[in-house]
Amino acid sequence: MDKALLAFLIIPLFAAVLIPFAARYRPRMADILANVTLLAGLANLAWLALSPSMIASEFANLPGDGLSLLLVGAIYLVGLCVTFFSAWFLDENLPNRPAYYSLLLVSVAAMTGVVTSTDFFTLYVFVEVLAVTSFALITTDESFAGVEGALKYFFLTFPASALIIVGLAILMLTLGSLSYENLRIFMSSDIPAGPVTFGAALIMLGFIIKSGVVPFHAWTPDAYQGAYAPVSAHLAGIVTKISGVYALIKMATLLRFFDGRAQALSEMLMFLGLLSIAVGAIAALRQKDFKRMLAFSSISQVGYIVLAAGLGTPLALIGAVFHLFNHATFKTVLFLNSASVERSAGTTDMDKLGGLEHSMPWTSWTSVVALLSTAGVPPLSGFWSKLLIILALWESGLRTYAVLALLFSIVTLAYFMVMQRKVFFGKKTAAAESSPEVSAPLLAPAIVMCGLIVALGLLFPYFYTYLKVVAERIII
Amino acid sequence: MDLPIKMLTTAVAVPVFGAFLIPLAGRVSTSARNAFAVLLGLFTFVAAASLFSPVLSGQTADYMISFPRGFDFILRADMLSVFMASVSAFVSAIILIYSVDYISHYENQTEYYTMVVLFLGSMMGLVFSANLLWMYIFWEMTGFCSWRLVGFFRSDKDVAKANKTILVTVFGALCMLVGIIMVYFDHGTLDLRALHGAGISYAAAAFILAGILSKSATLPFSTWLPDAGVAPSTVTSLLHAAVLVKIGVYAYARIFGVTFAAPDAFSNLVLYLAGASALVSAGAALIDTDIKRIIAYSTVSQIAFIFLGLASGNKTAFAGALLYILMHSVAKGGLFLCAGIIEQNTHTKDINKMGGLFSSMPWTGAAFALCSLSVMGIPPFGGFFSKFLVFSGAAQNGNLTVLLMFLVGAVMTLLYLVRLFYKIFLGEPAGHNSPKEGSFTMVASVMALAVIGLALGALIYYPSAYANLLTANLGVNLQ
Repeated sequence: MDKALLAFLIIPLFAAVLIPFAARYRPRMADILANVTLLAGLANLAWLALSPSMIASEFANLPGDGLSLLLVGAIYLVGLCVTFFSAWFLDENLPNRPAYYSLLLVSVAAMTGVVTSTDFFTLYVFVEVLAVTSFALITTDESFAGVEGALKYFFLTFPASALIIVGLAILMLTLGSLSYENLRIFMSSDIPAGPVTFGAALIMLGFIIKSGVVPFHAWTPDAYQGAYAPVSAHLAGIVTKISGVYALIKMATLLRFFDGRAQALSEMLMFLGLLSIAVGAIAALRQKDFKRMLAFSSISQVGYIVLAAGLGTPLALIGAVFHLFNHATFKTVLFLNSASVERSAGTTDMDKLGGLEHSMPWTSWTSVVALLSTAGVPPLSGFWSKLLIILALWESGLRTYAVLALLFSIVTLAYFMVMQRKVFFGKKTAAAESSPEVSAPLLAPAIVMCGLIVALGLLFPYFYTYLKVVAERIII
Repeated sequence: MDLPIKMLTTAVAVPVFGAFLIPLAGRVSTSARNAFAVLLGLFTFVAAASLFSPVLSGQTADYMISFPRGFDFILRADMLSVFMASVSAFVSAIILIYSVDYISHYENQTEYYTMVVLFLGSMMGLVFSANLLWMYIFWEMTGFCSWRLVGFFRSDKDVAKANKTILVTVFGALCMLVGIIMVYFDHGTLDLRALHGAGISYAAAAFILAGILSKSATLPFSTWLPDAGVAPSTVTSLLHAAVLVKIGVYAYARIFGVTFAAPDAFSNLVLYLAGASALVSAGAALIDTDIKRIIAYSTVSQIAFIFLGLASGNKTAFAGALLYILMHSVAKGGLFLCAGIIEQNTHTKDINKMGGLFSSMPWTGAAFALCSLSVMGIPPFGGFFSKFLVFSGAAQNGNLTVLLMFLVGAVMTLLYLVRLFYKIFLGEPAGHNSPKEGSFTMVASVMALAVIGLALGALIYYPSAYANLLTANLGVNLQ
């Protein structure tokens, strides 16, 4: 474990245990505790990474590899947005309200565990904790759709866990250790490739399923659509990225030391990435439901990260991590906005919505910012991460991949245009007539995230410096 | 920082950031918002025009913010960028003044003013950028603004047309980005100052060209422009005369005119594409019956003439093309603003339902006629000189087929504009009750543009001396 960040794992865990007791007589205590825990953590992290001396020294004194710090920051940020939103969104009299917050905090703690672990076995344990909490979070919505989504999630991702553990066992048998440091040394030495590649392939397959990459994406739309809206923001924004995509990035950096002997694996990863981009985007074009469209969009965006992870050059990894962070910002905005729309207009069926821009101007415009960032329109943050990924592809001579990845941005833009036309612009429908803007606390997370999207786009040089330090540390 | 650099940065920063203050001004009062928007437009024009004196004395002003990987944000004022910025900012300022009355009885006005000023600001950024990547960034920002402006009215049809606009132009922009990436890896830099006179591969040139053609609505990407006519006339005027369409032409002049040495075969391809574009769109303008679509097709056709001048590869034609940009901006801006008055007062866009309007709208009619004459290229209007220079340059180039295509195109311009004028203003009144003239500021705006078109013809010496100097100083690979 990375000791420096251990507190960020333990404190939310502790708060999660505390919440049921504290909230027994005062239900509001659950909201307050969860929010305060995450806010304090986030403030702490911001100070760690963004103190003036740190910026002045160009992030040379970052603790650890810098990547875990950044990702813990993303986890806390999304977690805080979700808990803050939930505090005003959930029904006051929901019986399992304390349990809901406890689960959210456990999931934050588990994700912190995933990104701070220094060996694959610990990572696996936390990924499993995360899977169980996600399953429980999806079922917080006790409707039929919620249970269906949870079951699909269960049946499709638990076999993945089995694959991962078998792969880990094979690696353990052949290499004798699972810590990243040892794996790195082994892989750059002259060990026979066969069993290790096989083990790595099994692990990779497991994480591919967990990140919802095509063709293993069947569970994502149902899970995201079925869950409570803040839960889907949590899942799509950060959980699947940490439990699947992060591990893939980690695998990819390790396989690089395999120099060429696992070429097929990284090529397969890149191919699946591109396939996800294409399939996710084209499927999103045909969706009728707002949340489902966002789910497919998520599949498509994960494709970019996976594509870059498979390539594995320093520039590609910078792009992958940057895009992962950006995805957390814009997808959280979009899912939270879909929740606001659902709360206000009573439906997320895009055929029944329309003309919400006048009654819900803030929701409408924050969605526009988020969708433009997703589609990679400059000068928003999504543009830079996509540009870095495409430059990395081009640099490695994979021009077809680069051009295809770039041109699928137009499909991304197209389905968001369809969404924007049906939901926010266009003629007012019956459902839209009686839908006032949601209250300010519900808008706050989306506005903060949008501010972040714009700021990251404009302050790209600083963020790039940070990521460069990260890439140097995790590769060399 | 000395004064030219200050003016350069304010010309970009004031409209870009000022645009986001317009909603705040809208909270104060409607008239405060309108006045603020018009002031931003005028200020931008003054800032851009104030750069004429340093560039005329042979200086350039540079401003740079360092970005990693050679993505530096560089603003540079040279003769070409100052010229283009001043023309755009001037026409935009007139359009903003006209908008105050025109737009006053529609919804979404705050969004409208914000987007127009942001549009102007992005245009300034694009024009002054000396880094291809930042040109692309501002390019996409203009695409975003045009999306919101074309979708100003919110019926399904309008929003669909707006989506078509942004999808076509963004597709082109992405192609252009591919071209830019090729340049980046070929030359290791995107700084246009360092790339001056460098060679460019066919593939990169072709990808960049696709972006340019999609923005300037030339074949095969021309269809979005007539469709964008669903927007209010001020918006179409802005798109056609001041910003959007001119961006493509400017980018061509900047990238292939004064930076890279374009291969000959590539220039020939552009000539044929432009020729086909001129003919097809002039034909479409002859048969359409929607006033705004006719003027839109006319833009497509006139833009092709500018490409003829830029791609002919000699100094006469290049200088002519620059003058053409100026003349066309003024005249086409005027035509669309006239169309706005006509459309608003007759409540129709069908020219078959107009006729005989001259008696009731004499001022608009006169302005329309003057602007049409300039577009046709009748002496002594400004349009004549630019067209003449473009043709004489093209004749020097010696490609007879292309020259014939454009001669036919020029004749057709004459035909469809005469037809348009006749159908609207002369002949028998068809089913309308003599609508009244537009408001004072609106008529004054169009008359100003019409008179300026005439004055530019009379004082052609100054702009043409400027264009010649520009061509001589900056042109690459011109005979």
